[in-house]
This record gives sequence, C-alpha cells and structure tokens, in this order.
Amino acid sequence: MEKSKNLFTAIYDGIFGGTSKNMRIALYVLFGLTALFLIFAIQILFWGLGYTDMDNNFTWGAWIIGDLGLVGLGGGAFTTGYILYIFRVDKLRPIINSTVLIGFMCYLFTFVFLLFDLGQPLRCWFGFAYPNWGKGVYPHSMLTEVFFCLSFYFCVLIVELIPVILEHKVLIKNKIIAAIAHYMHLLMWTMAAGGTFLSFFHQGSLGGGMWGVLYAKTVWFAPHFFYMAVVAAMAGGTSFMTLMPYIAGKILKKELVPMETFQILTRVSGFIFIFYFIFRIYDLYMVANVYAPMGGRNYFDMWGGYYGFWMIVLELILFMGPLVFLNIKSFRDQEKFMVTGAACGVGAIVISKLSVLLHGFSAPNFPWKGFTAYTPTIQEWSITLGCFAVMILIYMAFVKWFPLFPHLEHHDEHEAHH
Amino acid sequence: MIVKDVKMKRRWGMAIDLDKCTGCGKCSLACNQENNMPIFEDDSDVPKRVAFLELMKLTNDRDAKFPNVKTAYLPKMCQQCEGNKQGKHPAEPPCVTVCPAVATDRGDDGVVSQIWSRCIGCRYCQTACPYEARAFNWWKPEYEGSFKNSLSTDVSVASRGTIVKCTFCSHIWKRERDKAVAAGKLDINDVLYTPACVNTCPTGAMVFGDLNDPDSEVSKLANSDRAVRLTNVIDDIKDPAKKKALMDKKQFPNPKVYYLTSQKWLRDMMRFNPRNDAAKKNS
Repeated sequence: MEKSKNLFTAIYDGIFGGTSKNMRIALYVLFGLTALFLIFAIQILFWGLGYTDMDNNFTWGAWIIGDLGLVGLGGGAFTTGYILYIFRVDKLRPIINSTVLIGFMCYLFTFVFLLFDLGQPLRCWFGFAYPNWGKGVYPHSMLTEVFFCLSFYFCVLIVELIPVILEHKVLIKNKIIAAIAHYMHLLMWTMAAGGTFLSFFHQGSLGGGMWGVLYAKTVWFAPHFFYMAVVAAMAGGTSFMTLMPYIAGKILKKELVPMETFQILTRVSGFIFIFYFIFRIYDLYMVANVYAPMGGRNYFDMWGGYYGFWMIVLELILFMGPLVFLNIKSFRDQEKFMVTGAACGVGAIVISKLSVLLHGFSAPNFPWKGFTAYTPTIQEWSITLGCFAVMILIYMAFVKWFPLFPHLEHHDEHEAHH
Repeated sequence: MIVKDVKMKRRWGMAIDLDKCTGCGKCSLACNQENNMPIFEDDSDVPKRVAFLELMKLTNDRDAKFPNVKTAYLPKMCQQCEGNKQGKHPAEPPCVTVCPAVATDRGDDGVVSQIWSRCIGCRYCQTACPYEARAFNWWKPEYEGSFKNSLSTDVSVASRGTIVKCTFCSHIWKRERDKAVAAGKLDINDVLYTPACVNTCPTGAMVFGDLNDPDSEVSKLANSDRAVRLTNVIDDIKDPAKKKALMDKKQFPNPKVYYLTSQKWLRDMMRFNPRNDAAKKNS
C-alpha cells in the first residue's frame, strides 16, 4: 500500500511537478478526455457502432474525417523528410524529429480511427489476408491500397522515430546504442525516399481516390481526386509541421526551432499551395461543368444543403492566407503573418476534407429525398477528441523527456560547460 | 455432362410495375421472413434498420390537395447493377471493386453476392452504392421469442458489424438447382426460380426472370417503352454513338431492376434533372 502510494506520488510529481497552474489545468483536461476515450472505446468495441450517429445513409462519420485530416496533415512528414534528406536542405534538421513524431502519431491514430470504424475490428487482418487485388500491380480497391501503403509507411515512420528514442541522454551513453543511432541517421535518406514513394499512394487513395472512384456517386466522382489529395497533403502538411512546434515553443516560452527553419518550411508550403489552389479551381470547374452533368445532376442543386456552398466559400477564403502570407517575402518574414498563413493553410485542408465527407453523405441519393444532417454522439466526440488529447500528451512527453529538438540539448550542454 | 462444365446463360433481372403496385408491403414482409431479418425494439429508426427491401412512398407534391395529389409506392431492393465496359476496364458494379476483403462479388448469373462472414464492416460498399441498397448491422441481430424457430436455414444469420444485402434470393435458386440435380437434370440453365418478394406480390406487379432470354416476360417488359431505371441517366441518351462516348468516360450503374410506369410525373421522379432530360430529348 505504502509502496503504491509512493509510486503514485512519484508519477504525479514527475508529470505535474514544476508546472504552472495553466499547464496543470490543461493536463487535467487532456487526461480527462483520455479517460472518456477509454470508457467509450470499450462501449463501441464491445457493443457495436449502433451508439454512433452513423446510419445506412451516413455511413462514415467523425472518425473518417479525423482519418482524412490526420493523414492529410501528417503528409508533412514525408515532404519535410524528402526535402531534408534528398534535397539536403540541412537547415530543416532542427524540425525533423518533431516532424517524424507528429507524422508517426497522425498515422498511429489513423489506424485507431480506422479500427473503430470497422464493424468487425477483429477481422481487420482480412484486408491483408484477402486483398482485393486486380490483375496488374494496381489493387482493385482503394482501401486495399490504403491497408498496405499505410502500414508500410507506418513501419517507415517507426524506423525514423527509433533514433529519437535512442538518443535519449541516458541511452546514448551506451556505445552500441550510440553507434546504431549514428548509422540509422546516416541511412535515413533511404527511409525518406521509400516513405515518399509509399506516401504518394496512400495519400492519394485515402485522401481522395477512395471518393473519386465511386462512379455511381456523382457527388464524389472525379478521376483527378487522387492526385489532388497528394498535392493537398504536401501543401497542408508542411504548414501543420510548422504550426505544431511553433505552438509548443510559445507554450514553453523558448525558441524550440529557429525562425529560419520555420521560414524555409512555410516557403515550401506556400509554393505548393499555389499548385494546390490551381488544382482545386480546376477540380471545382470540372465537377461543376463535366462530371455533375454527366451523372445527371445540377452542380448547384447538388451543393445546397447543410454543408454545401458555405464550406467551399470558407475554404477559398482560407486559401488566401497561405497564398498571400507565405509567398510574399515581406509578409513571411513577419512572425504573425507567417503563423496566420500556416494556420489558414491547415484550416483550408481541414475544411476541404470536411466538405468532401459531410456534404458527400448529406447529399440525397434519390430525387425525392432531401439533404440529411449528421450530429455526432457523445461516443463519437469522446473518441475523436480523446485521440487528439493522447496525441498532444505524447508530444508533450517527448518534448519533456526526449531529444525532440536536439540542437537545444547541445546548446544546454554548451552552456553547462561554461 | 458434369455440372461444372455447364456455362450459366441466365442473367436474372426484375421488372416492377409501379402502376400496379398498391403499396401493401407484402414484398417487404416476405423478404424479411425469407432472409432472416432481425427485429429490433425500435424499427422506426429507419436509417439504422436492417432490411433488404424498402417500400418507398413517392408523391408529386406534399402540399397538394385532392384531385392534384398523386402517390406511388416503389419497392426498392438491390438493383443488381452491372456497370458498363469503359474502354479497357471491364464492367463492374459500383460496390464490388471497392471491397478490401473480397466479401462481395458478381456471379456469372449477374447477381451481386455478399458473404456476411467475410465482411469486415468497413462500409465502403455502402458508401459506393447509389441506391442505399446495402444494410449494416448496427446492432446485434435479435429474434424475439418464437421468431427464432421460423428462421430460414438457407440464409446465414449475420453477426453485428457486417453488411448484408439482397441477393435476389439466390439461395432459392440453389435449392431449386439441388432439387433438379436430384431429379437427374444436370443443366443449370434448366432451373428457374422466383424470389420471395415476387412470389408474394398479390397484384402481379413484380416480374422476375432471365434478361438474356428475349422471350421471357421480364425482358419484354424491360424493353418496353414504360420501363425506366432509377437515376440511371445513361438511358436517356438515345444516340448510340453519344452513349458509347459517355460510357468510355465513365461507368454508369446499369441496374437490372426495371420500373414500369406510364405516369409522367413518376418517370420524372426517377431523375434528378427531369427538365434537362426533357430538353435533351427535344433537341
């Protein structure tokens, strides 16, 4: 009894010790959400999906939106890795560990969400055991591609994350571990290249291809959707990877990542956003003028309803952030504009995913039916927000206990020597 | 002759005369009983209900008063889509290619099947279906009291979290085939059957048969001027060259269920853009 009490106080002090009052409140909220997540996870896994607001018409809900957002924004990991390891932009090195960790968590929780979305989670291995493979290299089902590319890329992210853990100040003292970490760093470019290759497929399939190929659903059908999702992930992901360490730095009140690094990454993001914007305009044009009439529907009738036009308008407004603030140097050099630009970029991506899903399911399949609405239940909210809370907690733990920003540690040691 | 050497020549299809349908709901009842549909405490929760056949009520105008109001009932089940050949791509129903676990397939008789026990419950096929024909078991299927004793042994009871769908009662065809084999008839093309819904229809509004056989009643009805397929816009294009060009760009569902009606308002109801179609026809 005494021992467990001591252990509890040790853990409590380890987590909450030396934190400010605001931080403690934030931690309580995050732990509370995690607890809710665990409770409702049990309910959903044991008693089924009936407790959600999904139904035979609105087949996917909050979790798949979370999936799309997480994978789309986690795409910043492969983009940043590629720029650092293949293009050798060494100024990105201070941010790479944080990027890999965020990418890892985004994919981890994509798996968690996907698992919750399955009616039979215990049969999830069927996707690997009985894949719907076509005749050639390409799989028949976009979900088969998601299954394989997502899990392979997740393995790549684990390999990329291992050195961050090995470089922990206690572990690195061991010579063998130090050598492993060193050589893993040297060979990381192979992982970056392989990860980019895999990412192109699953970003395309989960982000857009899955919807673009549904030829009978005019709301979604768009053959170019696959490619647009890849560009979207590269544009929004880099913004997201800037935003997260920036917020962490603001909370910790120290410069975790040099401004220069942020500016390189946001510059890349802004540049890709130009392409994404052009692609999106082309997408809107094609869907309105070619694909909707082809499916016998009027685009403007189809895009009414609860989640219709206002989302597209909001997305186009948010586009202006990255397009203006991240591409014009005088704006990008100012911290507030740079951050606003990146935040608007992330917002535009999230809104686009939301409108694809919410509107796509809301639009009627029969001419005599109206638009339907979707209001997530407490179970769906808890699991979605709980997952985000766990992500934030993991990130905080890494900031506190692992060399997430290695250049800072060297800096501290340097100071200590003096 | 060995059974497995015989090629299936039949292509099952259905024609439903909406002008004859009284909306009595017997088709729905028969379907539920034949296919072991679960019974829930609250079956008024329509979007979460498990049913293969939904009887939809259509009306020209909700606010219309007596002589102007028109109503029709439309029994909607899986339309057994075929898709169309698109360039090099073979014709595929919208739901079959998307399944990540090969739990659904189209048989050589054109029926889109589903293996409950293979389904992982991802609901991608349900998302792909333009006719909302697939049902998901949101709750554990339950059968109250003596209902359990009346379960059909030919249809497996699904577990929670799997997709189920109408298969044109193909288990009845298998039963009939077994009977024929036992009687010494080995050609599978000799065997005809009738799904439960068609069998029970009191007004004869539903007709089932082989679409490949030009003499069958169903193919005659399907080729008649009264036939219309739900939201399948490719049917409205009469010019074959234009039709082919469009089909090369995109597949269309091409269902094997034909609705028959002489009423213009009802035909218009089957399209999202009836006015556009009318304009196209006139031009």
